[in-house]
Amino acid sequence: MEFFNAFSVSLQAVWNDSGFSAFTIGNGIMIIVGLLLLYMAFVREFEPLLLGPIAFGCILANFPNTEFFGEEMNVMKAIRYGINYEIFPPLIFLGIGAMTDFGPLLARPSTLLLGAAAQIGVFVALAGAMIVGFDIKEAAAIGIIGGADGPTSIYLSIKLAPHLLGAIAVAAYTYMSLVPMIQPPIMKVLTTQKEREIVMTELRTVTKFERVVFPIVATIFISLLLPPIAALLGMLMLGNLFRESGVTDRLSDTAQNSLCNIVTIFLATGTGMTMNADDFLKADTLLIICLGLVAFMGGTAGGVIFGKIMCKMTGGAINPLIGSAGVSAVPMAARVSQLVGMRSKPGNYLLMHAMGPNVAGVIGTAVAAGTMLAMLK
Amino acid sequence: MGHPVTTNPFIIMMINMTVVFFVLIALSGIIHLIHKLDPTKEPEEVSEIPEADEHAAIIAKLKEQQKAAQVVETPQVEEGITPEIIAAISAAIAACGFSGQVRAVKIVGRENSGWRRNALDNGLRNKV
Repeated sequence: MEFFNAFSVSLQAVWNDSGFSAFTIGNGIMIIVGLLLLYMAFVREFEPLLLGPIAFGCILANFPNTEFFGEEMNVMKAIRYGINYEIFPPLIFLGIGAMTDFGPLLARPSTLLLGAAAQIGVFVALAGAMIVGFDIKEAAAIGIIGGADGPTSIYLSIKLAPHLLGAIAVAAYTYMSLVPMIQPPIMKVLTTQKEREIVMTELRTVTKFERVVFPIVATIFISLLLPPIAALLGMLMLGNLFRESGVTDRLSDTAQNSLCNIVTIFLATGTGMTMNADDFLKADTLLIICLGLVAFMGGTAGGVIFGKIMCKMTGGAINPLIGSAGVSAVPMAARVSQLVGMRSKPGNYLLMHAMGPNVAGVIGTAVAAGTMLAMLK
Repeated sequence: MGHPVTTNPFIIMMINMTVVFFVLIALSGIIHLIHKLDPTKEPEEVSEIPEADEHAAIIAKLKEQQKAAQVVETPQVEEGITPEIIAAISAAIAACGFSGQVRAVKIVGRENSGWRRNALDNGLRNKV
């Protein structure tokens, strides 16, 4: 009899410690959401490198009694620290910098304006978020989704509205993966067939001197003007300097491959782990996802409209389709400009021309984030 | 954290767009300045990229020069290809066992060739 009592008590203890005893409907819903995101990532191949770990993090975050964020240090807590203390976004920027070719931007600096114009979506969403009841800091963090830049969205959310991090990150990365579906209809509506067929002249050759000096001077200028984003922009430019210097190939290789991949795993998994049912299953999440779409569409429209203005001003030398790449989402948005251009006129290669505004969009989004931090923090 | 400077979304929007445009226009100015100060740029880069008709004029002039020199046996060479490259190509062709005369040597879109574009396109697919 004593044996059965001990067995029963032990079994009870195992049950009480198990996740099943504290499992809620909310956890179940979020695990289904995670599975859906996994499907999108691995079967439909929507940004699998990011959406995959985010989805798995979401599933992990909804197992009760895991003690992931308890008193004792563990790997999940360390990953959370990396996000909460703004370590991962600048490291991702280091990798992006090492992967990015600033050549098209340096060859045609006027495309920087397209990167600036596309930031209009950020502020349209910010105004929209305030109208539906978010406070100014939350609205700013939501608005930055329109920049289509995951690390910057996470960076600003942590600083201004950490409780919205999960929803904002998921909205940002989901829309980034849906760029090929969201942007083309807007681009077609806002441009004429004749404009889409414009063939742009070849870019001039950019010297190594320009490629090396630009990241250094840009870092000094932007960091002095907007210190809150010195970490982001500084790491972006450092990565680019590794790439362009020609004498730090090992560092460049590490930054754009091993380091970037490791940090991507941590950042994306950690972001997914912010999606626990208690924080995520709210009406605000749906609002954020809707506002994110508005921000994205606004940014695309802003870039294309400014592209049309530049087209008129240059006598038809600029194809307005490259304006949509100003929303950053490197290099997906540039590829969309290329695809839409090719559909309008086979053989019309816009990819390298669109990389200019695309890279400008990364800088523009970081500048917009820095300005909002300076004003609101 | 302190208090926000303003909570008016319109003012925030105007200030932010002004700052974003200012910074990116300033960066554009910096890029122009770097290009102007670049000690390594080639002299011909100072002028604008020649228009298509200017290209044609240069090519026509080269052809005339070739005719004037009466170099009948040399292949038709496009602008920008040095005699060393012609020599290397000729040597490679001979080494491969082909006989006969090379009729023309052309650059097939150095910056914009299909191969290059495909390679760039492929490389860009794998970025974060």
